[in-house]
Amino acid sequence: MERRSLIKYFVVGAIVGATSLSSFARAAQQKTVSSRYLRPPGALAEDKFLANCIHCGKCGEVCPNRAINFFGLGNGLASLDTPYIVPREQACILCMKCGDACPTGALKPIAREVEDIVANVKMGHARVDKNLCLSYQGKTCGVCARACPLPDISMRVGFLETPIVMDACVGCGLCERSCIQIPAAIKVIPDMQRS
Amino acid sequence: MRHTWQRHLNKLRWLILSLVFCTLILVPFLHLYQTYLASHSYDLLLPKEKLVYDSMEWLTSPFLSDPEIQLEAVKGTVWSGTLFGLKLSDPLAVVGQASAGLNLYWPFILTAALPVIFTVIFGRFFCGWICPATLVYELNDNIGAWLRKAGLPISQRRLDRRLKYLVLGIGAVLSAATGAVLFAAIYPPAIIGREIYYAVAVGGFGGGTLFFLLTLLFDLMVSRRGFCRYLCPGGALYSLLGRYRIFRIQRNVATCNDCTKCNVVCPFDLDPLRDGFGQECNNCTACIAVCPTDALKFELKIRDAVNQGPGHLGQQYRKQQQKSEKVEVQKI
Repeated sequence: MERRSLIKYFVVGAIVGATSLSSFARAAQQKTVSSRYLRPPGALAEDKFLANCIHCGKCGEVCPNRAINFFGLGNGLASLDTPYIVPREQACILCMKCGDACPTGALKPIAREVEDIVANVKMGHARVDKNLCLSYQGKTCGVCARACPLPDISMRVGFLETPIVMDACVGCGLCERSCIQIPAAIKVIPDMQRS
Repeated sequence: MRHTWQRHLNKLRWLILSLVFCTLILVPFLHLYQTYLASHSYDLLLPKEKLVYDSMEWLTSPFLSDPEIQLEAVKGTVWSGTLFGLKLSDPLAVVGQASAGLNLYWPFILTAALPVIFTVIFGRFFCGWICPATLVYELNDNIGAWLRKAGLPISQRRLDRRLKYLVLGIGAVLSAATGAVLFAAIYPPAIIGREIYYAVAVGGFGGGTLFFLLTLLFDLMVSRRGFCRYLCPGGALYSLLGRYRIFRIQRNVATCNDCTKCNVVCPFDLDPLRDGFGQECNNCTACIAVCPTDALKFELKIRDAVNQGPGHLGQQYRKQQQKSEKVEVQKI
């Protein structure tokens, strides 16, 4: 009788497992394209990041700027309780503590040096909307360039303080955070491949 | 020799469980305090934030000179945390990460080495002595006992203990299929640490709270301590690792009097009275504390004793002796 009940559990379990397997797999794969959020600095490419992140929340717990939020169920089951940053609310200050805290290497540990940050942090890339940007409208602003933690490396200013984003932009979002236009004239476009 | 000191292990266990739980609540508040320190913005804080600041300052200032840096020493939860520079992780996190990524990341696996070693020695000790969910489940169990006394029909179904190994297996397969560590979503200690952090530092509980409340209802309505016994994937892993544990509770048949108190009190429905501890025992020591003759104690042993029969101080054993004496007398 005991053996029979065990077999029953295994059969039921296998059926439940197989059905949920397919739906879970689909749910997990849905959200990898066209995502509109930043991962913390040093995150691996999105699929590798999800495979490594154990959802422990330590990155948020060491973030001195309280920039790191965590997903609920809204973004799919696979990214439940994984960290993200909305730069307009609170941007990353590139302190690199989260990479040191991450136990699994989902966020790479990166030294807090300009060369290391420029070479390894690929959160996204800032893009200026010239129709919204005050400087491009002739009203000298330059706030974003002053907020940039990597001035003349990631961003330089042209005539009338017009921001010009360079290839080395790491996507920390401090420019988007500081932009005085509503909506922001400079935005970080996330790079899910982090290439 | 009577091992009376072991009767107090259960109290010590409650103390440790409460300490762990309090730490899990304290760490997010300390994190908030650190962020307020980092932003040098005391004058800009809201009244309730000032309250956090002031109380954490009162708490830490006697011990720490530079709390913003020194408080980095204790971070995280029992799922994965840092304790004075030592990174520790739950073995289940390692299993989940290895199956999700289908690769081994050694720096992470090493963080689980210490818990694994302790489990090999003490068995499923994490479940009984550290897991923050155990504290809540045991309190919940007490509520269930009151309800039962009040006459409410509380179900005490028995399922198959091996179900949790199935949960562990299916969880690993699903993690590999989806490429995400799914154990984190259904493992109560991970949920509790995270949800406390969300509630304190991020704002509001997350979805994990609902799942945890459901497991509490499951324990109340379906089976006593049912989640730990039948469903917890972490419990399954710890049970497997602790199968040949070196320290285990054993019954001394010479002082046992068959009172059955141990079987009644055992939250995991094990059978100490007939030496049936097995790999499931989480060393909660409730049976040691309740034993009137101190017949149960920890011993250095790799396997359980096979059923040693009725206790020598019990009636059944005495009757058996009298019978065999009679038989011997008749033979003579």
